[in-house]
This record gives sequence, C-alpha cells and structure tokens, in this order.
Amino acid sequence: MHAIRRPARRLVAATVAASLALSGFVPRAQALTLSAEQVAESEGVVSGAVQRERLLAALQRDDVARALQERGVDPDEARARIAALSDAEAARLGAEIDRAPAGANDIVGTLVFVFVLLLVTDILGFTKVFPFTRPIR
Amino acid sequence: MIRAALLLAALLLGGCAVQTAALRADPPAGLPPVVELTSTPFFPQTDFQCGPAALATALAAAGFAVDPAQLSAEVFVPARAGSLQAEMLAGARRHGAVATRIPGEMAALLREVAAGHPVVVLQNLGLSFVPLWHYAVVVGHDLPRGDLLLRSGRTEREVMPLSTFEHTWGRSGSWAFVVLAPGDWPLTARSSDAVEAAVGFERSARPAVAARVYASAVQRWPDPPSLAIGWGNSLRAAGDTARAAEVLRAAAERHRSAPAWINLADLLLALGRRDEAVQAARAAVALHDAWQPQAQQALEEALQAVR
Repeated sequence: MHAIRRPARRLVAATVAASLALSGFVPRAQALTLSAEQVAESEGVVSGAVQRERLLAALQRDDVARALQERGVDPDEARARIAALSDAEAARLGAEIDRAPAGANDIVGTLVFVFVLLLVTDILGFTKVFPFTRPIR
Repeated sequence: MIRAALLLAALLLGGCAVQTAALRADPPAGLPPVVELTSTPFFPQTDFQCGPAALATALAAAGFAVDPAQLSAEVFVPARAGSLQAEMLAGARRHGAVATRIPGEMAALLREVAAGHPVVVLQNLGLSFVPLWHYAVVVGHDLPRGDLLLRSGRTEREVMPLSTFEHTWGRSGSWAFVVLAPGDWPLTARSSDAVEAAVGFERSARPAVAARVYASAVQRWPDPPSLAIGWGNSLRAAGDTARAAEVLRAAAERHRSAPAWINLADLLLALGRRDEAVQAARAAVALHDAWQPQAQQALEEALQAVR
C-alpha cells in the first residue's frame, strides 16, 4: 500500500511545491494526516480500508454492474452500501473474495461471485456467508 | 430409542441454555428483575422486511424520525429477501445515529435494556443447518417468569422464554447492537466496540458531530489512541484547528503515538507554524515504530516548507 502511495505523495508534494513557487500560496490539504481508521487498524480493531477500495473499484466494472442489475440491485445503491461499510465489515468481505472457490479464479468471475453471490444475493445457494433475514411466517 | 432421539434433538438445538439458568439462579448485581421499555415504538414488518422494521424501531426509540419504507430501500436486498448485518449498522449510521455492537452475552443484553437501551438482535429461528434469520428488538425481561420481551415481526409485544431466546440468539453468533444519539454509548460496550462504532460513524457524519462522538468516547475509553486521533482529525475537519492541535498534542504525549505527532505536524504546517511542525515530526521519528516511513515524510515536508 505504501509502495503505491509514496510516489503519488511525492507527485502531490512536487505539484504543491510548484504551485507555491508560481502563486506564492496554496491552501494545504491534509496531505500527511493519518485517519482514525488507519490507526484503529494498527490497534488490531479494524482492518480493510484496502478491501473497501477493492470492492468499490470492482463495482465500476460494466460486467459486474450488469450482473447486479439483472438481480434487482441498483449498482449505485450497492456502491453507497460498500462506502458505508466499516473496515471490519469490508475486511470480512475481502476475506471472502480471497476464499472464493476454485473455478472462480478469473477476475471477473471472482468479482461477480463476490457481489452477486456473497455481498448481495447468494440466491444460487453456493454460499452461506452472511446471515440474511427471512420471515417468520 | 426415544432417549436417543431426545439426545439428538438436544445436540441439534445446541445444548442447554446455560446463561439463562445462571441468570435466573444468580442475577447480576443491580439488574432489576423486571424491565419493560414500554415507550419503545413498534413498526410491524411487511413481507420479509424484519430488518428495516427492527432498525426503524431502534432509530425511533433513539429519537430519530424514520420512514420504514425509505429504510427498506437502504438495507433490504430484494433478490435475497433479507438485510445484511453490516448494512443494518451502516443504515443506522446513515441516519445520524451511532450503532455500536455489544458483547454477545445474555447478562450484557439484559443490563443494556435495564439501562433504557432497546437492543437489536439477530436470531436464527431455524436450525444451524436450516437457518431462518430474523431481526428483532429486545425491550424488556421478566427474570422471575423467565421471559424476554421483544418487538418482533408483526408482534408488538412478543413474550419469549429466556432459554428459547438464548438458543435462537446463540445460533446467530449472539449478534446484537444498540442505536443511540451521538454522544451516548451503550452501558456494556467495550473499547474495541466503541472504536469500530466511532470510525464507522465518522465516515458518513458531519465532522463537528463526529468530533462530539469521539470526544464522548475518549472520555469513557481513554486508552485507544485511535479515538483521540479521530477526535483531533474531526475537530480539524470541522475547522476548529486550535482545539484540534491541543487534542492531537495531548494524544501524542499520553500515548507516545507517532500518528498523533504526524497529524499534529501536518496541522501545524497547514497553519504556517513550521518550527513547531518540525518538532512534532521529529518526535514521531524518534519513536522508531511502525509509522517510521510516514514520520520521515512528515519531517521532510516540514523541513522543506517555506518559512
């Protein structure tokens, strides 16, 4: 994660430095600030910021979005749901991606598996990942 | 033969209700024998939607006006005729409430209700291998009679034997949470529950409200650095930079926390207090812990900043 982010931060820093040189002043974003979530992760309470990003990125795919729509779920609504997941919850979902059964080792298959079968429906009955509700009667 | 069948049934049902027996024989000190939160509203479920109905009940009890129809659009998955646990928590947070898990123990559940907090519970009304998931809200108990009182499904006042409840709740992993207004916390929540709840709340809350939630959490659970850092970050995001700096500095010193020093350095830099930022970044570097890369980066930026 840091390996990916550090060059990006360098780029931001370089851009900010350049703008400073040109304009004299640029309001500074919270460039270095660590989130409570990251700190909580280090405390072992929650983990999975990366997983949530992974889930959200996967939702951008047309094939995944189409598969969701076919099953009565609005992809925008699904996106909002993922965004509102806590790290712990996202981590649990992420762990399920990693545990996806053999045969789903192509990336599209795995993503559709996660969203359609695990996160949203599992109507095909392959998995029993999350407890869902059912009526009493 | 009959004995074998009974034994099999007992095994399938997950053994005896040991917590109920212990509770009735020796109730925890200070737990009233009879409790009923009669003012808890009731939203009867429609079709399969016990999730939205239970959530609406808990939100309304905490003082949040809710429309169950809107809630069901948020937490109900049509294709699966149910609601995810994660979404029940997220749904409460989206409406401005703090949703906190509580320990999965009968004693915690009853103490929470006795403290005036209805508890949303997940039950498995079927068997472990034929699950029949159901959300309900616990609103009271009657220890002498051995009953638990719930808002459940289409029943406004369900009376369920404590032992039966213990079985059905245990088969869901004893999953339960409490919905409260920002600043209030469940009686029985542990610090890890509070961290999870506050961090989850921050994600969809206005920074000023998130700051209030973190502040109340720090007061009760002073140990986790994440709560104090979340408090400082939220204050900063809400524009209260002076208070944010105080909080981050206090957290950094108390917990010897590199992230708190780094965040303080970042804030001081933004405020143009370059020398103090360098000092804070040096303090982070000096800890030589897992945050060393970020600490070094903060120091570099502070040293390079224009005076």
